[in-house]
Amino acid sequence: MTLPAPDRRTAELAAAFVELRTALGRVLVGQDDAATGLTLALLAEQHAYLEGPPGCGKSELAAALAALSGARTHTLVFHRDIRETDLLGDVLLSRHRHRGHERLRRELIPGPLLQAEVALLEDLPRSPGEALGPLLRILAERQALGQTLPLESAVATGPLEQVEAPIDPLEPGQLDRFAVQLRLAGLLTGGLFDEAAVLLEREAARQQARGAVPSGTFTTPDAAPSPAVMSAATRNAAQRAAAALQVEPRTLDAYHRLLDRLRQRTADESASGDRLMSDRSFSSAALRLVRAHAFLRGAPAAAPRDLGAIRYMVAHRLPEEVQEDFDHILEELLGDPPNVTMTETGAQMPGAQSQGDDSDGAAASSPASDSWIDDQADLPAPPSLFGQPPPPAQVDPLLRALVGRIERGRIDPDTDPGGQPRGYRPLRDLDELIDADLIEALLFAEGRLPGAPRTFERKRKSAGGAVAVLRDISASMAGRLTVWSSQVVLGILRVAARRRMRVGYVEFHHRALPHQVGGRLLHRSYSRLAEQAGQAKAVGQTNYEAPLRTALEGLRGGSGRNRHIVLLTDGLPIIGDTSVRRERQLARRLGVALHTVFLGNGDCPPVLDDISLETGGLRFCGRPLPGGGLRLEER
Amino acid sequence: MSDLTPLRDLLDHHVVGHDEVKTALLLALITREHIYVEGPPGTAKTRLAEVAAKGSELDFFFYQLHRDTRLAELVGDIVLERRKVKTDGAAPGTAGEAERIHQRIEPGGLLTAEVAVLDDISRAPGEALNVLLRILNERRFGAEPIPLMAAIATGNPMDDEYYNEPLDPANLDRFALQLRVSGLIQSGVDEAKTLIDRFASGSVVEQPDPEPVTDRATLDALNRRMYQVKVGAAVRAALLDVLRTLVLEFECNETNSLLTDRTFLVKAIKILRGAALLAGRDAVDLPDLAALSWMTTFRVPPEAHEALPRIIGRVSRQVRAV
Repeated sequence: MTLPAPDRRTAELAAAFVELRTALGRVLVGQDDAATGLTLALLAEQHAYLEGPPGCGKSELAAALAALSGARTHTLVFHRDIRETDLLGDVLLSRHRHRGHERLRRELIPGPLLQAEVALLEDLPRSPGEALGPLLRILAERQALGQTLPLESAVATGPLEQVEAPIDPLEPGQLDRFAVQLRLAGLLTGGLFDEAAVLLEREAARQQARGAVPSGTFTTPDAAPSPAVMSAATRNAAQRAAAALQVEPRTLDAYHRLLDRLRQRTADESASGDRLMSDRSFSSAALRLVRAHAFLRGAPAAAPRDLGAIRYMVAHRLPEEVQEDFDHILEELLGDPPNVTMTETGAQMPGAQSQGDDSDGAAASSPASDSWIDDQADLPAPPSLFGQPPPPAQVDPLLRALVGRIERGRIDPDTDPGGQPRGYRPLRDLDELIDADLIEALLFAEGRLPGAPRTFERKRKSAGGAVAVLRDISASMAGRLTVWSSQVVLGILRVAARRRMRVGYVEFHHRALPHQVGGRLLHRSYSRLAEQAGQAKAVGQTNYEAPLRTALEGLRGGSGRNRHIVLLTDGLPIIGDTSVRRERQLARRLGVALHTVFLGNGDCPPVLDDISLETGGLRFCGRPLPGGGLRLEER
Repeated sequence: MSDLTPLRDLLDHHVVGHDEVKTALLLALITREHIYVEGPPGTAKTRLAEVAAKGSELDFFFYQLHRDTRLAELVGDIVLERRKVKTDGAAPGTAGEAERIHQRIEPGGLLTAEVAVLDDISRAPGEALNVLLRILNERRFGAEPIPLMAAIATGNPMDDEYYNEPLDPANLDRFALQLRVSGLIQSGVDEAKTLIDRFASGSVVEQPDPEPVTDRATLDALNRRMYQVKVGAAVRAALLDVLRTLVLEFECNETNSLLTDRTFLVKAIKILRGAALLAGRDAVDLPDLAALSWMTTFRVPPEAHEALPRIIGRVSRQVRAV
């Protein structure tokens, strides 16, 4: 039986994209999901964001999509100093004589990026906000300089969000411009050793083959570009056909139920990760992808199973636990009878409902639930030595004041010649011409510009900063004070984790006991320190000098101005230099703020005041209350 | 035996000790991979890089990075091209002349060099290095391939005394070979005596310019021969076992390591081939796996890096037994 002509054409179009998917799947070993996700993105004309550890093949895959699809493409590598002209195009400068004076007009001529059908945006998060804003708007509107762009898909790549990376990750709102979001795993770090063996064998053979070819003048890159598997006409016809595909009513029905379930699961506050189910993405973009999924399957209309395409959207939209469960959630839903009434959102799903209740209850009773801290660090709850946790809110004033201090360093980026361009300022010095707006510099040189050309104002945020916590564990700290100081430490760790500050933790009695990771006092292993802070035992006598010296040595030389030491103690120093004169001097020189917290009923040793006052630190005092609480206030 | 013996002799002539760095430099030239050498000031890092580059008669680009380093300083000058165009006079009173201004880079520096020495790379701001390191990785700038064979970067330890920021781990990954050097005198090795004796007579010029002892043709031939070195299934299995041990026993993961597929599944094979070639073999043998420790220096936690020779030994024994 032969298909009628229109159906045959549709089948051909689908086959072309199936071939694209297969060819893409061969580019990398063991990254089939990414190949499918990218194919769907192009077919549905949606943008895609690919993230993964370095060297897992993100760029290779994106480049292969562009090459295989035969699309006109342009690659833009984002970096700190990317300029408007790199994004948009050349400048057209027109001069007009008008009644004796000259008028200069400056316009932009669309550059290669604006003419691309598939735009490759490498290392997107490295771009400063100034360039990113206009770009993301262009991507969303597919219009620039008054023209509609031929852009079908933009494929951006970025690093895995990592605590050590010097760049700020993109926010979920920015990532929302990319309907398809794919997270690639490395074969080695992902434990996919069978795939790794396949890749090793393939590479060994590939290299051997290269050796047979005499090398030219230039060293050529290892991979040759793949030939296109379809024509532009086929690609565009397939995109149109996929977009026109019907969505079966039962699919829409299932989609509503899927969204309900995702909403419920996402509402669970304990889940970690991004959550952003925007109307933009979950209406038109999602259904385009579902249609593309059906089209790729060769189906005449989008069936409920095509909702599987949504899985390629969720990397930065749903918490990780929900992502992992996505296939299961969908499977369960498709197994459900489709005639469940959909009047109430999820109220009739008892399992999910009770889960929500649990988390609410846990949040209310947990001493760690500082509502003002948006806790992302998954820290264990503070230890309880008395069976039940002590009343919570008491460490708040300290943490709040500390956070204020820390934020001050974070928010105001300092002018720094190596920093990111954040706005313009007038040229002050001819040396700065290299950083000036080039067109204005040109006009300036020709004597046509009244005043000086504008030049980048470069600023650098202090890189998170660092905080070292020094905790007295001398014998007098036994009992309740141990619990209190554990809470303070955990609170600071939580704040540090959220701000990505490096942390150091030194317990001390007569000696300093630093908890180093990888030989360094300052690091970002927050949860390891949190565990440690819960295990402190009170022994020995008090020595301020040793821990301060240890912490200052650790903070020395690090970059950034945002450096703090928090000293938690209950007593007078007995051992070492009790006035810690040298340490105070060093702290002043390094610009480290020493905050002191005195716990207990006795008199606060005056040396603590000196330490704080001299270094611009905060002073706190915690007094046990008769009822078992602790009142913490600024001294 | 290898055709690079003269270059090795030259390195030995100019710099005392640092056997591993010298071998790794030759390996970098043969395999055309980039190399990063980290060590405290005054440990002949830059000197070694310079001698290797000049001794091989290649186009040579030396750049001292600093905290304000900008792209243009590395890749050439930014050029504004101006072209007169006609305007259509669409806006009222706009009929007149106009010019189109195109900004491009006149290739220079890194884009035209065969060997680049990037001194003190850790001093440049991490984010600014991104494009530079991407050029190193892709060996092309825009669509144009560049003639660069190897970049030799040096840096100071990321310790407290040296006021520099740690390199972005992804950036460090662009350097397939990574070594740590320490001063001969500080570490009190036998060569320290040789070093001092050398300057005792007063007849040694401190920094004589090295003569070229090898050339591009030799290196091209070696590069081709490198690709022809055989990598058997046993070596591949052993390599994979070493990597498996790092992941499973030493818990190397994405947060504490840079155990990337590109480096350890693609470039590692090249490095092993190069090591075999330097050792005068036409097939990679298990002892060549030792070269892996020039790849793990800053990519895995220190304890895993230190354990690597032991891991390689154990895996080699197991593979031999099969």
